[in-house]
Parts: sequence; structure tokens; C-alpha cells
Amino acid sequence: MQEEQLIEGLRARDRKTTEYLYEKYSRALYAVIARILSDQDIAEEVFHDAFIKITKKIDSYEESKGRLYTWMANICRNSAIDKLRSKEISQSGKTNGIDDFVYGLESQSGTMEQVEGIGVRELITQLNEDQRFIIDHIYFKGYTHSEVSEEYDIPLGTVKSRVRAALQVLKKNLDRI
Amino acid sequence: MDIQSYIASGKLELFLLGELTEREREEVLALAKTYPEIQKELDELEEAMFSFDNLTGPTPSPKVKDKIFASLEADFRKDEPKKAPSVAPVETKVVKLSPWKNFAVAASLVALLASAAAIYFAGKYYDTDQKFTALLQDQQVMADNLNQVKLQYEETDNRLDRLVAGDFKRVEMKGEGFDIQKDAKVDVFWDQSAQEVFVAVNNLNSLSAEFDYQLWAIGKDGPVGIGLVNPGEKFTLQQMEAVAEAGVFAITIEPKGGSQSPTLEKLVVLGEVA
Repeated sequence: MQEEQLIEGLRARDRKTTEYLYEKYSRALYAVIARILSDQDIAEEVFHDAFIKITKKIDSYEESKGRLYTWMANICRNSAIDKLRSKEISQSGKTNGIDDFVYGLESQSGTMEQVEGIGVRELITQLNEDQRFIIDHIYFKGYTHSEVSEEYDIPLGTVKSRVRAALQVLKKNLDRI
Repeated sequence: MDIQSYIASGKLELFLLGELTEREREEVLALAKTYPEIQKELDELEEAMFSFDNLTGPTPSPKVKDKIFASLEADFRKDEPKKAPSVAPVETKVVKLSPWKNFAVAASLVALLASAAAIYFAGKYYDTDQKFTALLQDQQVMADNLNQVKLQYEETDNRLDRLVAGDFKRVEMKGEGFDIQKDAKVDVFWDQSAQEVFVAVNNLNSLSAEFDYQLWAIGKDGPVGIGLVNPGEKFTLQQMEAVAEAGVFAITIEPKGGSQSPTLEKLVVLGEVA
């Protein structure tokens, strides 16, 4: 299904199109949330709300302002960050990170996840220390790049170029997963 | 501008992470439109991010999907297209039958409405047609009237011309001396040289159907009947027969069609030529 058709179907509140959207994107979108929120129940609750939000806000999505996945991923990422900073999570004192995430994946019962978890770990090992630090904070701890810059006293330009470098490494090694 | 250093700045990644301000977002979008390299890099980065997210995450549990679709149930369009009736023959029947009935009902309804409309418009047409015919008839009557009036006018005009051009004498005939109608008054206009005679009724009672007024010119040879006078045509000129010689004009009441000689007992008006 072309992206235009997909958007059109979603706007028409078509069930089949919504199911297609779920099949194609649920895992990636859930990953955006789950790597920030370690608690599975909370992550799934946030994912539920974010997915509903996507289907309701599809009318205000503007194709000219970026691709569909980026738009959806940003909704999920922002929902997860909002949840992370809410009282509920802060009080529980839980922190998350690459290691927790990979550990979480590996400890899941399914074989598929185990294999993929190992893949992710391998992928992560391709990053150097700086890049790993950036990915850990931005992807897994829900930091924005300016928060990383402020909190760790790293110049904004440096954070940006490290984000880029880290993503380049991930991009190059994706086929190894 | 240096596209490579712009790409290397990391702005595109932040764009995809949703961490740019509105102004910066607009800048990236505008540049991506202008420079295909930037658009290409954006597309590739998004693809990579999606792949990374898609490959690294755990699958959400099935109960989340159920819950999501239960939440969305009320939002979905209800008129989902039915599956093509090619699966099972039993299903085919069920699927096909009810629309057939609906179509039949719809068709009957349409037929009924069409018939009603046809009757309505037929009635309308009949009414209109009748009105039209009536109007045509009215118009015909008016045209006839107009023709008549035109003829009368031409005749009158013609007579007036002759009256004005000719040398007419006016002879007043009155009923004062007779018993039948004291106030009767009829004028005769006579052009002796042209031998033309007109009468104009001023006041003359109408007669029953079996009688006529007859005009007589009375000269040396006795009375000569020169025409019947219509008492209804008042103040118009009625042309009579030619008369060359007369001393007196008179009107008598005669049996319908007139007589050879006047019935003197029924003399109505009389006037002497001055």
C-alpha cells in the first residue's frame, strides 16, 4: 500500500487500512516507546494511547511537513517522554538504558526476540563510547539533544554531530541484525 | 550553500527526532525541496530509523492490539465494502439475496414515484393544453373582432370621406306628428348629384323580429323604398339605395323584408328636403 493510500484510508476511518497500519508499524512504534519506558505495562498503555492519538490526529497530519513514519514516531516518542517525566514514573525511581533494554529483550521468552536482541547488542557494540552515550540518552533515556548538552556540558554542535555519527553507524550496520 | 556540511551538521537527524523548532523545521523542509541531496538523505535516514526501531523492538502483546481496536471500534466507518461474493455458495446467496430485495424495493419505489410524477405532469399538461386552446380561441375571437372593427372603420372612414367630399344635404326626420314614436329622430344625408343616401339613427325604438323599418324617398313618382333601417346602429351612417329625385323622406314599419308600397298608417318619422 502506498503512503498516500494509507493516509487516505486512515482519514476515511477504514478498518482494513488501520489494521494494515498496525501490522506494518506497531512494532517500530512500540519500540520507540518501550526503549524509553522499561515497564511493559506502562509502555503498552502509552503505546495504546499514542496509537489512538495517531488515528484521531491523522486529519491534521500534513504530508508536506515530513513523512508519515517520522510524524508517528514523534508522537510516540513525545508520549513516552511525557510519561517518563510524569510523577507516576519519577516516584518509582526507575531508570532505563541500552543495557536494561537489551537485557529486557534477551530475557523475553520468545526465540525471535532473543535472536534479535543479540542483534541489537551487536549493533550497539559498533558504536564508540561517545556515540553509545548519545544513543543511550536520546534513544533510551528520552533526553532531547539540548538536555544532553546542558546536563553533561557538551556543546550543542558536538551533540548534533555525535547524533549524526551514531545514526550513520546504525544505518550502515542495520543489515547485520 | 554547502550542502554536505549542512547534512553533516546533524540537523536532519534532529528533524526526524522532532527536536527542531518550528522555524528550523521549515528551513529543513524548504532546503529538502530545493536540494535533492538533502531530500535523499532525509529519506534514507528515516528509512534507517524505521528499520532500527522495527528490528530492535519487542512486539507489543496481542492484548494491546485488541484493546486498541476495541477503542477504535466506534470510529470506524460502518459501511465497509462487503467481500466479493465468490467465497462460498451459501454465503453468496445470503449476500446477494438481501441487496436484490433492496434493489427490488428501491426499483418499485422509483417506478411508483415515476408513475406519480407522470400522472402529475400529464394532468399538468392537460390543464396547460386546455388553457392554451382557450387562449388560442380567445385570440382568434379578438382577431376576428379586430378585423370587423377594421372593416367598420374603413367603411366609416370611406363614408366620412364621401360625406366630406360630396355635396350632402341633411334631412331631419322626426316622429312628432305621428302616433307611433313621438321622440323618434332619424337623419338622412343625401347627395343629389351623386344620388347617394345615408341614414343616421338618432333615436328609434327597436322592433319585434317580424317587422323592419323601411326608408322611402317620395318624389314626383310617389314613394320609392330605398332600404331597410337598422334601429340598433345609432349614430352611424347606413347606406341606402340611390335616389335622384325626392321632396320628402319617410320611414314606415313594414313586415320583415320591406314592402313595395308604404303602409301609411305606420308612418314613424318624416322629413322634408329643404
